[in-house]
Amino acid sequence: MKNPCEIWKDRLLEAILTGTLTAGLEGHLRTCTTCSEELDDIRAREARLETLLPLVAQGSEPSANFRARVLAAADAASEGKRARPWRVWAWAGASAVVVVALMIGVTLRRRAARMIRGDELAAAQKLVEWRAPSDGLLVTPGQEILRTMPRLGESYLNVPVKTDEEE
Amino acid sequence: MSVLIARAEAQNPEAGLGQRIAENQRRVFQIAYGILGNSADAEDVAQEAFLRAFQKFASLREAEKFSAWVNRIVFRLALNRQRGYRRRLVRDTAWQIAETPAMVDGPKDAEQQVMLERLRREIERLPKKLRTVLQLSLVEEMEAADVGAVLGIPTGTVRSRLHAARKLLLEVMK
Repeated sequence: MKNPCEIWKDRLLEAILTGTLTAGLEGHLRTCTTCSEELDDIRAREARLETLLPLVAQGSEPSANFRARVLAAADAASEGKRARPWRVWAWAGASAVVVVALMIGVTLRRRAARMIRGDELAAAQKLVEWRAPSDGLLVTPGQEILRTMPRLGESYLNVPVKTDEEE
Repeated sequence: MSVLIARAEAQNPEAGLGQRIAENQRRVFQIAYGILGNSADAEDVAQEAFLRAFQKFASLREAEKFSAWVNRIVFRLALNRQRGYRRRLVRDTAWQIAETPAMVDGPKDAEQQVMLERLRREIERLPKKLRTVLQLSLVEEMEAADVGAVLGIPTGTVRSRLHAARKLLLEVMK
């Protein structure tokens, strides 16, 4: 069964936090011992919370040499700042050297890729000049025979074949 | 006069460095500690915050706002570290924390220590928005307006979140 005082729970908390009792709650408290006890309990908890909460943040302090440490770190940082122009130039110079070296490397690599070795060139030349053995037939006396031999249409179908001259 | 001081410091920020650290170190450390819960990390972050503040001091138009400025820096740095090292961060436990004036003697203090440790755990469980407001409000000298300035939210919102946080804590700290 649902606790009938459940509806007052939130109002009890609010009463303690704001320090004010509403008329309705006051009337209920006169008749309900459970809620009166609960209110006392919340009041005690609030007092405890009031004591404990400040301790949460105050539980620890910066160490005694904190200030000296920060000052030393600030000194070191400003030293670094002063030294920075030299460092910047040194880094810029080193970076420039690396970039130039990389560019030279890339250019040489590309040029080497474009160059063809002597034996490869000779092989390519050979390939270009190569002729198939059958190519020779086209310039041999055999050509004459081919011209004078009756052609296929001429023998069986009696189709007049155009001579080279007519063409 | 303050304008002259501000100008002088803008030209030579290291001049007032020690003084500014002395004035702000406790609060700056506590902001970091509230978020990180670890002295060593909090001190690192606080140091970094001061260094950054001094490096960019010239860009700060109103030197008298240094405190609010360094508050924001340390808060951001602490949050960044928390995000970056969430798994590695280890909160100080009660026995690691330096004695506070409230911890004097006897079993009563032992009980208080246990309660304090429990309260820390309950604060960790609060929704992030409420937790952050509560942690910043617990730092000494931090009023609702200061907390609002750090978080970039209105003072009224700070108060309502603080109220909600305390209510949740009242419920769970039985």
